[in-house]
Amino acid sequence: MIKDITIGQFFPGNSFIHKLDARAKIVLTLLYIIALFMCKNFFSLLLMLGFSAVCVFISKISPKLIWKSLRAIIFIVLFTSALQIIYNDNGEILWKPFESRDFAVTTGGVFSAVFLAVRIIALILLSSLLTYTTSPTMLTDAIERLLSPLKIFKVKVHALAMMMTIALRFIPTLITEIDIIMSAQKARGAKLDSGSIPERMKAMISVFIPLFVSAFRRAAELAVAMECRCYTDSASRTSLKVMRMGIRDYISFAVLGAVIFGAVFTSFYKFSSMFIFEPVM
Amino acid sequence: MSLIEVRNVSFGYGHKTPFEVQALKNVSLSVEKGECVSVIGHTGSGKSTLMQMLNALIKPESGEILLEGKNINADKKSVAAARFKVGLCFQYPEYQLFGETCFEDIAFGPKNMGLSEEEIKKRVLLVCEFVGLSKDKLKESPFDLSGGQKRRCAIAGVMAMLPEVLILDEPTAGLDPAGRLAVLDMIKNYRDKTGATVILVTHSMEIAASMSNRILVLNKGERAFFGTPEEIFSHSDELIAMGLNVPSFAKIISALKKEGFAVEDAYTVEAAAESIKKLLKGEVL
Repeated sequence: MIKDITIGQFFPGNSFIHKLDARAKIVLTLLYIIALFMCKNFFSLLLMLGFSAVCVFISKISPKLIWKSLRAIIFIVLFTSALQIIYNDNGEILWKPFESRDFAVTTGGVFSAVFLAVRIIALILLSSLLTYTTSPTMLTDAIERLLSPLKIFKVKVHALAMMMTIALRFIPTLITEIDIIMSAQKARGAKLDSGSIPERMKAMISVFIPLFVSAFRRAAELAVAMECRCYTDSASRTSLKVMRMGIRDYISFAVLGAVIFGAVFTSFYKFSSMFIFEPVM
Repeated sequence: MSLIEVRNVSFGYGHKTPFEVQALKNVSLSVEKGECVSVIGHTGSGKSTLMQMLNALIKPESGEILLEGKNINADKKSVAAARFKVGLCFQYPEYQLFGETCFEDIAFGPKNMGLSEEEIKKRVLLVCEFVGLSKDKLKESPFDLSGGQKRRCAIAGVMAMLPEVLILDEPTAGLDPAGRLAVLDMIKNYRDKTGATVILVTHSMEIAASMSNRILVLNKGERAFFGTPEEIFSHSDELIAMGLNVPSFAKIISALKKEGFAVEDAYTVEAAAESIKKLLKGEVL
């Protein structure tokens, strides 16, 4: 059901990864993603995938949850892989289904399809780990800090961070609300999980209208409540919990640095082709 | 054969996540045709879960629910049948309004039942009478109604399916005393006119005592008590220990009993006044 969506959810814990500074986690994730796109062969890619697998292990997040977040993007993975197989003509021809046409499945296509799939999986693995192990408030706090240099350019960093916090805060609320409204309309015989597709689409109207109405109502109520507490986005604020980088964070940077160095090094160094086939992209 | 039979039903939320909750533990009960049963319990006692099960919205993890002797979760047909036979009105039903006009919103349920235009119109007019919604409101948007009227319109939407069992989850929540009485009158009206079985979830012992012939008390997902209001109020100490509010008159009666006075049991203010009067006159000793 809708409640099964776990992307963006936070699972409290006490692991090494949970305790990392949120700013460090965001920067580490970004570095990891950039490095992921610098990988040119399977050896370096597997090194990166291995790193995120170790991170998942350390975080003690159950593999089932990780699988759930992967399942949500499986369609995207399959789609991009299929495109690669269709459009990549490099390498030897493996299979040519239509004699008259140019289309053929080639080694290059298959390898780049697998390559891309692994890359997306590694990417989702680590970025979902970021939200699984960091509370939304910590996350937006960190984003506000990281973006604060933009204040020189008159970017309203605080307002942006506040909007993000509120948006994240309301995801579970709205999911619960959808659940209730869906149940209520099903109780009135709405064909939400039975009936033909046009029937279901029509029934969805009975869910979305009340949902939007209540989202606007909540937004208006929250705005009034914030104004009653004299909230403005121009005041300079201090935090209850001051973020400090610790030894843990420096260790993480060192480890990721080493992994990235290894991955990039093997990417550009030719000996890697002895290990595994290098796809032509 | 009872109309509704709940047999050893259990259910939990969020299995294998840190947020796991056992909502219902081995609950059994049966409700006869034409009864009015109130369900009382603290927040999180499993009331709403049980109510959604009676309507086949939630499937019990173990145990079964029988409606007229048939398991409602047997197949798709029985689920659809249960949805129409058992009308469930959620808490704050006014937040589920969506129609362009009140008429359209009330007609949503009957339309899903596949009734004819004529029958739908007849039913909408009929339930408007039950809930006291004036006919000229039917052309207006439900979002333009006042809070109390929205609630009436939403409850009418459930009643329009003319369910044999009407379940209302805290129909009086957030209403002023006049609004509360009006809603309770609507429910009585519906029961009188259709002879339906009514199940009422409420926090108020007063409402439970005045409306229903039996009360089900749930505590932490388990059936604590199920019986007539007199039986329930005789356990007032246990009820208070569960964090439930007991009407003042019931507290007085039970305190008098504890002191050794032979007062008659009573479950309305009037009856309690009578029995105390009798005690004072020395009629019962």
